[in-house]
Amino acid sequence: MVNETSRTSAQTTGHVWDSDLQEFNNPLPAWWVYGFYITIAFAIIYWIIYPSWPFGKSFLPGVSKVTYVNAEGKEEAWHWNTRAKLLKETQDAAAQQKPYYDKIASLPYDKVTKDPELSSFVLSAGKAIFSDNCAPCHQSGGQGKIGAYPNLTDDDWLYGGSFDKISETLHKGRRGYMPAYAEALDPAQIDALANYVLSLSGLKADAAKAAEGNKLFHSHAAACYYCHGDNAKGRQVVGSANLTDKVWLWADVPGAQDDAGKLAAVKRVIGNGLNRGVMPAWDGRLKPEQIKLLTVYVHELGGGK
Amino acid sequence: MAATSNPATEQYNFDIVRKFAIMTLFWGVVGMFVGVYIASELAWPFLNFDSPYFSFGRFRPVHTGGVIFGFGGSALFATSYYVVQRTCQTRLFAPGLATFTFWGWQAVIVLAALSYVMGYSQGKEYAEMEWPIDLLIEVVWVAYLIVFVGTLMNRKQPHIYVANWFYLSFILATALLHTFNNIAIPVGLFTLKSYSLFAGPQDAMTQWWYGHNAVGFFLTAAFLGMMYYFVPKHAGRPVYSYRLSIVHFWALSFMYMWVGTHHLHWTAIPDWTSTLAATFSIMLLLPSWGGMINGIMTLSGAWDKLRTDPVMRFMIVALSFYGMSTFEGPLMSLKDVNALSHYTDWTVGHVHSGALGWVAMISFGSLYHMIPRLWNTQLYSERLVNAHFWLATIGVLLYITAMWISGIMQGLMWRAFDDFGNLQYSFVESVAAMHPFYAMRAIGGMFFLTGMIIMAYNCFMTIRQAQRAEQAAPAVAVASA
Repeated sequence: MVNETSRTSAQTTGHVWDSDLQEFNNPLPAWWVYGFYITIAFAIIYWIIYPSWPFGKSFLPGVSKVTYVNAEGKEEAWHWNTRAKLLKETQDAAAQQKPYYDKIASLPYDKVTKDPELSSFVLSAGKAIFSDNCAPCHQSGGQGKIGAYPNLTDDDWLYGGSFDKISETLHKGRRGYMPAYAEALDPAQIDALANYVLSLSGLKADAAKAAEGNKLFHSHAAACYYCHGDNAKGRQVVGSANLTDKVWLWADVPGAQDDAGKLAAVKRVIGNGLNRGVMPAWDGRLKPEQIKLLTVYVHELGGGK
Repeated sequence: MAATSNPATEQYNFDIVRKFAIMTLFWGVVGMFVGVYIASELAWPFLNFDSPYFSFGRFRPVHTGGVIFGFGGSALFATSYYVVQRTCQTRLFAPGLATFTFWGWQAVIVLAALSYVMGYSQGKEYAEMEWPIDLLIEVVWVAYLIVFVGTLMNRKQPHIYVANWFYLSFILATALLHTFNNIAIPVGLFTLKSYSLFAGPQDAMTQWWYGHNAVGFFLTAAFLGMMYYFVPKHAGRPVYSYRLSIVHFWALSFMYMWVGTHHLHWTAIPDWTSTLAATFSIMLLLPSWGGMINGIMTLSGAWDKLRTDPVMRFMIVALSFYGMSTFEGPLMSLKDVNALSHYTDWTVGHVHSGALGWVAMISFGSLYHMIPRLWNTQLYSERLVNAHFWLATIGVLLYITAMWISGIMQGLMWRAFDDFGNLQYSFVESVAAMHPFYAMRAIGGMFFLTGMIIMAYNCFMTIRQAQRAEQAAPAVAVASA
């Protein structure tokens, strides 16, 4: 250690701390110095291209320009800025897609689905619009969620699965409602009705109770038939569910562990009723041509009629 | 705490250094455990247990506060008090104030963590503490400044050693940043909630002036101070270049203050502020590298130590990660690169290559050097240091590789358009694509945490062995002191 210190002491600053801490005084590495100069040159070029140094209430605008269409519909060049870039990019994208949207707006629905290029466009744009707006409830594939949001990929429709009905649903929204029968009926009656509802779908139910439920269903006391129809197949004009198929929306019958669980799930819905079935209206949130495109997209998800 | 029998007879006040060193290990284990937990929450969300108290949003600042201020802060207090005494050849000025900084700082970490779990937050990254805790930090920090400057003024050396410049710049800058970023009006005297004095883009720019300089002065300059003492001391070699240390110190201090706004590219800030932030970030590259060069070149002529000494390996790998992340940072600050990287996991990976690779590794190396000297003993096990080194290195590499892939994939998926000019992927598809990399990141974190726990055990055994030796032969210990 002593030897080494004496060997190098000519190059050190001559200060010693904490008994052996010293510093050489090597010059700055040349590559470091030139590297530093290069970064400064880079910065200067960047300042010339983009808006940079402020002075007073203004700033150096930079030589780079963005050309976009202004509010008066005229082309205008502006110094590089993020607002103009966003305008330009959205304008370019809209211009690229305009021919497709124009065609979709002018053609009847069935012509749109028969045109292979338009169908591809609907699939592409529909996926983006659906993912941003519809998927949070109906899920990314449109498969819905039992107990909350309808499945859009099957052929069971609460309000109708024609192009016109889907379009109406999208434009105006929907509001599902069923009264809470726990207030009007006693538990034995709800039990009977639930057994009847299960029997309608061919599921295991107490035959005697189901028969009693059948009577109640068609009676003035419960008046279920009034919305769900005499045959219990639902009435699309009021958005009531078809109770005779195997599709479940509110009562999580498929998810129940056993027969008792299935019965309990149906009883819960009858007893508590529903007022959560809200589909928002998309008028004003999406453009009419987007709603038309989305109508075709949803129709083509699997179950359109 | 593990103080020796009669600290007053020691040449230096090491009692306070020992306290902070032990808390560094404690907060390292706690903070990194919380980090692994929240990383696991992202990969396996059932770990939320549907409880607000376990949610990512509340645990995240507990993690960042625990590792930055708990682990990093305690490491800086410990090493700065150690270095300033040894290089000034004098005992700490105002030892009572120094003790106050210990208890005050620990109180800050505990109170901050509790308040986050309760749901209190200013919503400012790395400055989530609400106003009463901010005031406590302010008082502790002024005490720290008085102790440090007082010690410098009492020095028995004509020149101030380079490590102390860096420590002092860290203390001054942190005081400035903390004060101005936390100017807020409490909703009431007896409520924790407050609102920032600044609004909109001004608030955002103040926050990121703070946020990036917390990286610059707390996590960079201060740890460079640590490096400037422990690397040459441990290698037994003089610092490579005094000139370089002066030039890069001033360049670094000057440039850093400008760059915070690069966290806000492509948002509602004036475009010229974003340009200046990008260019100063680029010009910061070589000043940052000055520290790396000075550290690594100090070792020239002693490279063989890398083979034999795991402590030295920690220091050199730390410098390598420092060089890599200070290259990556300026790159990410360019507008066009940032358009891809912003809001993605790439940023998270970048922060951790600096935080784990640089900050934690240099602290590990320094503590392994310092702890045996504080207790006047040898390390309990070099093999465990070696195991820690490999666990930590593998952990960092897994972590940053996972985040690079995940981050760049996110960025590319978010901006992918199909032939018709429509977005190709929905957001949730990008989330699903990240899942394997979130699991990989959590595993990388587990490696790093395991290393940290091994270190805590190794240091615990080192201290215990020192205390047993002292009890066995008190006469010898006093004689050698």
